[in-house]
Amino acid sequence: MIPTSTKSLVLIAMGLYLYSRFFGGTLLFYINERFVILTLFAAVGFIIVGLSYRYRLPNAHEGHEHGNLSWAGLAIVVTPIVLGLVIPPKPLGAAAMSNRDVRLESLTSAPAPSNDVVLSKPKGERNILDWQMDFWSSPDPTVFNGQEAKVIGFVYRDDRFKANEFMVSRFTISCCAADAAPIGLMVRSDEAKLFPTDQWVEVKGNFQAGQFDGKEMPILIADLLAPTDIPNQPYLYPY
Amino acid sequence: MTTLDTPSAQLWYHQPAKRLAILLLFLAAIILLRANIPVDSLGDKGQTFVTIFQSIFIEAVPFLLAGSLVSGFIEVFVNRDILFRFVPRNPFFAALAGGGLGLLFPVCECGVVPVTRRLYQKGLPLSMGIAFLLAAPVINPVVIASTYAAFGWGPMLWARVGFSFLIAVTVGTLFYFARPEEILRPDSQDDHDHCEVDHDHEIVDIPPGARLWEALATAGDDFLDMARYLIAGSMMAAAMQTLVSQPTLLALGNGTISSILTLMMLAFVLSVCSTVDAFLALAFINSFTPSSVLAFLVFGPMVDIKSALMFMGVFQRRVVLYLILLPLMMTLTITVYLSLNVSW
Repeated sequence: MIPTSTKSLVLIAMGLYLYSRFFGGTLLFYINERFVILTLFAAVGFIIVGLSYRYRLPNAHEGHEHGNLSWAGLAIVVTPIVLGLVIPPKPLGAAAMSNRDVRLESLTSAPAPSNDVVLSKPKGERNILDWQMDFWSSPDPTVFNGQEAKVIGFVYRDDRFKANEFMVSRFTISCCAADAAPIGLMVRSDEAKLFPTDQWVEVKGNFQAGQFDGKEMPILIADLLAPTDIPNQPYLYPY
Repeated sequence: MTTLDTPSAQLWYHQPAKRLAILLLFLAAIILLRANIPVDSLGDKGQTFVTIFQSIFIEAVPFLLAGSLVSGFIEVFVNRDILFRFVPRNPFFAALAGGGLGLLFPVCECGVVPVTRRLYQKGLPLSMGIAFLLAAPVINPVVIASTYAAFGWGPMLWARVGFSFLIAVTVGTLFYFARPEEILRPDSQDDHDHCEVDHDHEIVDIPPGARLWEALATAGDDFLDMARYLIAGSMMAAAMQTLVSQPTLLALGNGTISSILTLMMLAFVLSVCSTVDAFLALAFINSFTPSSVLAFLVFGPMVDIKSALMFMGVFQRRVVLYLILLPLMMTLTITVYLSLNVSW
């Protein structure tokens, strides 16, 4: 039987762990920002529940323990906390794209509810997802010729890419990193090879319709490539 | 059940100094480990696994805590006699009521498990509990609202709610003749059948001031009991997602039936919370038939890797298998019928 004080400690630790993800700014590496408030509620809830063992009357549950938690079970419960403390938090990167569907070409996609909002956004403030949605809604890639873009993402490349090419990529998530879907813009620049895969970069340039992997698409011809830090919000939210 | 803690166990946890020493050792070990592990030693796959595991866990854990709190408050504040006044005598009507119970307790597939277990301990009929367990992740205000936001008032919303209800009530009714001791784990059964001591401690023997703390601590016990299943399930889901190639999986879905099976398999592997899976399903609407998206929306909330593992905390193993296979077969039958006859 697990001592009450240990249970209480584990619950409080769980609360502090969740709070530490929020406080450390890494919570958005895992979940959509709309769930942040739930994580905070849970953090407070765990601490209150953990403290409640102190005030529980000892005779009320004596000899009547329904739980069948063993030390091994408890070890499983603390796994997320231990992993979280030992392994530095990192958002999904290029490695996670190898077994996912990489959306580069204009896919026929369901019209997103936020499409009108996207199209009315000033072009300088558009992120990769906004551009992708615009591409999806117009079948002709040449209409974007000459339009200026400034986006942030990480470098992705596979064997289809030439030395002067990479994809500036982001993951979109609707729930959490478990449903992450990669999207990206093709970038061409002579400096492309200076940036290793997974490096976060800021790309500034103009679109020019071109061929990639046998398909016609808008390609971002970069004027400026600069390394940058992982943004506070690494994922983009389609809905 | 009535054995007290052994003296040695009492000893170490009543000594604050020892407790503190163990805690400090634990923290020191973690700090040492962290300092000695280079950032990228884990490899890319390992890092992806950890991130996905943490994300499923962090996303789901507030819902499990909420379910445990509901369970704790039921334990302390809901008298079994009052509960029984509202439970229909006829098992079929009990299953119907169970299917709609989610409108009263808005819980998703993580929160519903501890609540069901607690209601079983209070003597809820098997059929009603199973119907509640399977239906509540869809038939609750939050999920109906998110499905409406994604698909609008259309056949997808009605079909999702209607067929989830139908399947849940049918599976619940199938357990009409079963006896609880064949179905439930011993610790999920009605208290009064297996304990000699009368310990119905609801309301009666707890002073009013202490009831809140008792409810909260009971919620804590419930959470710790169920969390290991959630965590093991999240790990399995994360491992599948790190190893299984999604394009290969999605490429399987060309035929009528194979596309239904593909999206059901994807729902099982992804283990995404039912409160948001409608938005995810939206991404499949153009590449898959409506009936396969419906299969994703009906089957996913009832059964996925993490909820199937959590069922093991309530039901006996054989029964968990039925609870996976019955909804699977029924969802498949319904959606295949729709795609062949309504050309959906």
